[in-house]
Amino acid sequence: MAAQPVAPAGGWIGFGAPNGDDADAGAAATDLTNILDTVEVPIVVLRRDFTIAGFNKATADEFRLSRSDVGRAPRDNSRLAGLPSLEEQCREVMASGVAARADFRDGDRWFVVRISPYANGERQVSGTVLTFTNVTAFRASIDQVIYERECTKAILNAVPDPLAVLSPDQRIQSGNRAFYSMFFELASLRTRLKGMLAGGRAFDPVEVDQVIPGEGRRRLILHAHPLALPGHPERRVLLTFEDITARRQAEAANDLRAIAERKDGLRRSEAFLAEAQRLSLTGSFSWRVSTDEITWSDQLYRIFEFEPGMPVTLELIGTRVHPEDMPLLGDRLERARDAGTDFEHEHRLQMPDRSIKYLHMVAHGTRDEDGRLEYIGAVQDVTARRLSEQALGKAQSELAHVARVSALSTLTASIAHEVNQPLSGIITNASTCLRMLAADPPDLDGARETARRAIRDGNRASEVIARVRTLFTKKELATESVDLNGATREVTALLMGELQRNRVLLQLELAQDLPTVTGDRIQLQQVILNLVRNASDAMATVDDRPRQLLIRTEDEDGDGVRVSVRDAGIGVDPQNMTKLLDAFYTTKRDGMGIGLSVSRSIIERHHGRLWAEPNDGPGATFLFSIPVSQRP
Amino acid sequence: MAPKPSLVSVVDDDESMREALPDLLRQFGFAAEAFASAEAFLASEFVSKTSCLLLDVAMPGMSGPDLQQELTRRRQKIPIVFITAYGDTSVLRRLLARGAVRCLVKPFSDAALLDAVGAALT
Repeated sequence: MAAQPVAPAGGWIGFGAPNGDDADAGAAATDLTNILDTVEVPIVVLRRDFTIAGFNKATADEFRLSRSDVGRAPRDNSRLAGLPSLEEQCREVMASGVAARADFRDGDRWFVVRISPYANGERQVSGTVLTFTNVTAFRASIDQVIYERECTKAILNAVPDPLAVLSPDQRIQSGNRAFYSMFFELASLRTRLKGMLAGGRAFDPVEVDQVIPGEGRRRLILHAHPLALPGHPERRVLLTFEDITARRQAEAANDLRAIAERKDGLRRSEAFLAEAQRLSLTGSFSWRVSTDEITWSDQLYRIFEFEPGMPVTLELIGTRVHPEDMPLLGDRLERARDAGTDFEHEHRLQMPDRSIKYLHMVAHGTRDEDGRLEYIGAVQDVTARRLSEQALGKAQSELAHVARVSALSTLTASIAHEVNQPLSGIITNASTCLRMLAADPPDLDGARETARRAIRDGNRASEVIARVRTLFTKKELATESVDLNGATREVTALLMGELQRNRVLLQLELAQDLPTVTGDRIQLQQVILNLVRNASDAMATVDDRPRQLLIRTEDEDGDGVRVSVRDAGIGVDPQNMTKLLDAFYTTKRDGMGIGLSVSRSIIERHHGRLWAEPNDGPGATFLFSIPVSQRP
Repeated sequence: MAPKPSLVSVVDDDESMREALPDLLRQFGFAAEAFASAEAFLASEFVSKTSCLLLDVAMPGMSGPDLQQELTRRRQKIPIVFITAYGDTSVLRRLLARGAVRCLVKPFSDAALLDAVGAALT
């Protein structure tokens, strides 16, 4: 073949061109050049000083090397500059004579670079040969495989059934997540075991649920014990399994029994409570003030005669409360909304058949952590007790009336006896005297003597009268410092039950820093009690307006203290205002007029004044005023 | 010789009556004796001589009705006129039922006294 020995562009470069002196050698070199340029693998020879000695055509094509690159370092070529620590690796290869490999990335192409020693004829290493194997396609296929494996893994792990691949010797090669979690969450178990093996850390037994073929679900405890075997430096672990299924079942049965017993006990005490409520006619309730949410016990439904389970509202309760008691109850509940303190109240119910029930309510206020108010309380049906109390009260008051009348008649009899004795003497002596004077001759000495006796008996009678008056009026007046506010509070506390029964709405307006008065505390309290009772009695027939009773104490500019008791009752005829305080004047059957006149005499003995005034509206006001204590 | 005047005995714990009544009775023409207690009267010599007894009801020790019973027991039939400062009608009725001639409630007039004593002596 007539080939022109022209080096192809980018052909093997850097090696001695064939010369005419050695035609054989020249032919061999040409062969070699042809061979090297035919190989698609880039090949670069580096000298000892890491400069490029030569490269084949593939190198020129792949990395754009040209003739001018011979004698320069690969790093001067923009493409080969990416070879990491090339000089260092070449030095090592030259020193060891052993080839090395490195990965090299050129743009999106990947190469495996093999660095081999370059030996001359004397087997002396004088440089390195770099071959670049393009592995781009290979890497892409590996990436693809990894990607597909991850996808498969994700799919398998999402499968709830345990899947495993076993090796021929029955060892588990791989498994999905379901498989591992089925076997005691092996990952966490492995961590624990690793901790134990590393530091001899104690292994806490692990309790696991395990479905064992043919046995069903079992509860197992997994214990691990480190083992040190003689002659074996590495630690081993003894794993034991304890089947506690039966024990757990027994415990669960016990728990169930205990719960059942507790429930039974609860049911029993609930039954006791319900029975106790039924027997004692006492119902219980709770009232959430902010929401007006009310819950009732069964007995309370029975007391109010509502269908059990009906939603309870204040309006519903209002349909049963006796109309006369409604204002007082409403007032009590309104105050309870703000106060949050325990309270008691009595009121009546009017049932649809017009029958009356008396209820006694006791409520205890509590607040939850957010400060919301709730009342828990009990309501007792005290109708039977009230009715018998009323009967008793009536009997008592009748008895008291009889006692008062009989005491009065005894007193009258004794006064009459005391007075009649000297009166008889006077009359008899006077009669005798007249007869002695009328005699012929007149017995003047006898007449004088009988007249003297008549005068003596007259004096005796007047002494009796004086003694009776003393008996009634002259009492030792205790003198102490009296706080009329305190005295008033004590009296109203004493009368609270009676006033509530009479449905009187009591209001106290007690002056601050009220000066004290000097006197007999008990007697002054009797006066207040008397006035309050009178006021309450005066409102007994009032049904068209609240039975309002106002007790007020006032400081009369430091001179005196005034107590007024204002009622909304039937009032007093102005013409009778002054007569009202006279002894023995009364508008009432049971003679409380005496009470008022006694009250007046008590106040007067305290150097004070008692009087009555008609109100602008209905009712009357009774007032007394007492000078304040003399300050030393 | 004029007939001996009838003896009217007064039994009363009240001194003023013991002084005044005998004088008045004497003005009426009777003989009169006064005793401070029922016991004193019973112990005296005048029980059998008494034609009429003016007897107080309420006295310390033996009361008027007690004396009335004692005289009945002794079969001493002396007409009795009770005098009392208590006007309790039920007590008066009981005394009359037991045989008292009259009951005078203090204070009483001289006419009432004369009428009662007159009734006792007939």
